[in-house]
Amino acid sequence: MNPQKDISKDAALALLRGMLLARRIEERLIRLYHQGSIFGGVYCGFGQEAIGTATTAVSTADDLFAPCIRDMTVHLGRGTTPRDIFRQFLGRAQGPTRGRDGNIHYGELHRGVFAFISHLGAMLPVITGGVMARRRLGRPAVGFAYIGDGGTSTGDFHEAINFAAVFDVPVIFVVENNQFAYSTPNVHQFRCTSLVDRAAGYGIEGIAADGNDVLGLAAQVGALVADIRVKPRAVLLVCETMRMRGHGEHDDGSYVPRELLAAWAKRCPIVVAREKMLAAKLATAAELDALDVAVQAEVGEAYQQALSDPLPNPATLMEGVYATG
Amino acid sequence: MPPAETTFLEAIRQALQRLLREHADVVMFGQDIGAFGGAFKVTAGLQKEFGADRVFDTPISESAILGAALGMATMGLRPVVEMQFSDFATTALHQLLNNAGTLHYRTGVAAPLVVRAPCGGGFAGGPFHSEDLEAFFCHMPGIKVVYPSFPADARALLMASALDPNPVVFLENKYLYRHVKEWLPTAWAPSALGAARVCRPGSDAVVLTYGAMVHEAIRAAELVHAEDGGEVMVLDLRTLKPLDTDSILAAVAATNRVLIVHEGWHTGGFGAEIAALVAERAFHLLDAPIWRLTAPDCPVPFSPELEKAYRPNAEKIRDALLELLEH
Repeated sequence: MNPQKDISKDAALALLRGMLLARRIEERLIRLYHQGSIFGGVYCGFGQEAIGTATTAVSTADDLFAPCIRDMTVHLGRGTTPRDIFRQFLGRAQGPTRGRDGNIHYGELHRGVFAFISHLGAMLPVITGGVMARRRLGRPAVGFAYIGDGGTSTGDFHEAINFAAVFDVPVIFVVENNQFAYSTPNVHQFRCTSLVDRAAGYGIEGIAADGNDVLGLAAQVGALVADIRVKPRAVLLVCETMRMRGHGEHDDGSYVPRELLAAWAKRCPIVVAREKMLAAKLATAAELDALDVAVQAEVGEAYQQALSDPLPNPATLMEGVYATG
Repeated sequence: MPPAETTFLEAIRQALQRLLREHADVVMFGQDIGAFGGAFKVTAGLQKEFGADRVFDTPISESAILGAALGMATMGLRPVVEMQFSDFATTALHQLLNNAGTLHYRTGVAAPLVVRAPCGGGFAGGPFHSEDLEAFFCHMPGIKVVYPSFPADARALLMASALDPNPVVFLENKYLYRHVKEWLPTAWAPSALGAARVCRPGSDAVVLTYGAMVHEAIRAAELVHAEDGGEVMVLDLRTLKPLDTDSILAAVAATNRVLIVHEGWHTGGFGAEIAALVAERAFHLLDAPIWRLTAPDCPVPFSPELEKAYRPNAEKIRDALLELLEH
């Protein structure tokens, strides 16, 4: 694509802003984790910010999302506030799960986002049913279901894609191939040449994408989702990317070859977007720097606010196990 | 001409039909439940009456069925899905335990869905078509578990399950499908989950049970009465979660002797939960130890002679009662 021609300055800046916001929040979370000020673990999406940012950017209010643990950008793209994200990681009473669940396990369904559970693949049937129901109730939803390379080995990955394919449910199954599932590299995860090949077995389209080019991905997925809205169907979209940190912050990722990380560092989605925007003269370096400074200030403020928010009252332990009324 | 007696199976079918008629948000899906009408014909005729977009077949994907039902429930539908056999639900237990059962607690989003699961043995179904897994389901937070034993209750409780705002596992003991009939009231009584029912009064002992074993226990109580005049109460729990603890404790207070019967396995079975409840809350009322009569801890055997040895029945319950009454 030609960025200067195909995307407005505002839209390009919004994409960069979305990625920066996630990056700066996660940097703060990492610091807090190593200071011992975070409950539980921290799992980052460093290097994968383009995927959630681009896919939410092309979505509409009716669309549904089932993000995974490295998809903070999906939550931000759908409007979850940085303050709520910090509340979640800090186990605050007013966070998205009211302290009932931790770290990235949240989702605001009124924004179209399902709350992730740890069992990989488990959300794929859920969003498939969600899209079926929402469309039945008159809202023309398309689903965006995210899964890692490791998650493609689960039974639910197979069941959900086959289910969606059989019923022509418009769900884009977004595989974020970040090369490692915890410590397990692709070579020990699957035997096909490319995960795109899996699509043929389900009778659906399989599409390859550069998961680190937010501008290119937004254009590619934008065209794809426009077509899916006209011809509803399940699609497998395999985004090549790289997990730039350990599985979680407890993991130094020393099993990942340093040269591989160095090669992917040059393709950092934030760096790539900056370079493209500057080359296309969509913005000046000073403007982009100012954007980053503004994002960092917003993140700092959100953290301070969340820090002053209350922890849950232990007396509410049993509240909400069952729905009433 | 008076209306004929209604089978357990037909009562469930009537509830499904009424749900589809009166509630536009109810959808049903599962394996072979559409034109074929289900492995047991519980959904016979429903696709024809309500169309394939409300009653439809799915691939053999239990986890996708339960997961999709959860997604639908969060969007405003009321899915009532069928596991062809409750045994097969085990390949999708994680969707119930981790997803459906935790959703409201974690996110405040309700998930009104029903998982219908034909269960239980007694017909040479072998190890994988006869399991009785209520203890698994009851162990999960956020899930309700209903296990009726009479047609009228099955009809009313299935309506109540589908209209409940929570995930409900509705266990249908296959032995009852065609073996149990009764006159159904013309008016459908509203029924709440969580209420047990005394289906045979008595003051000498109580059998706390549910499902197919209710009928075996009633027969056993009659055998005991014929043999030594003892009056044995039978309490049909009907809903296992939430459990009607008040009715259980009242039955213990009225009889002072307790026999717990179920056709699921012994160790960690639901009877252990009832026994613990009685011991904790009504120990002072007991004239004899709490007894359990359950399936032994072995896979459900196929050959009828073995299965007869495996499964509790009226004769075994009678023997246990006679001994308990002597105690």
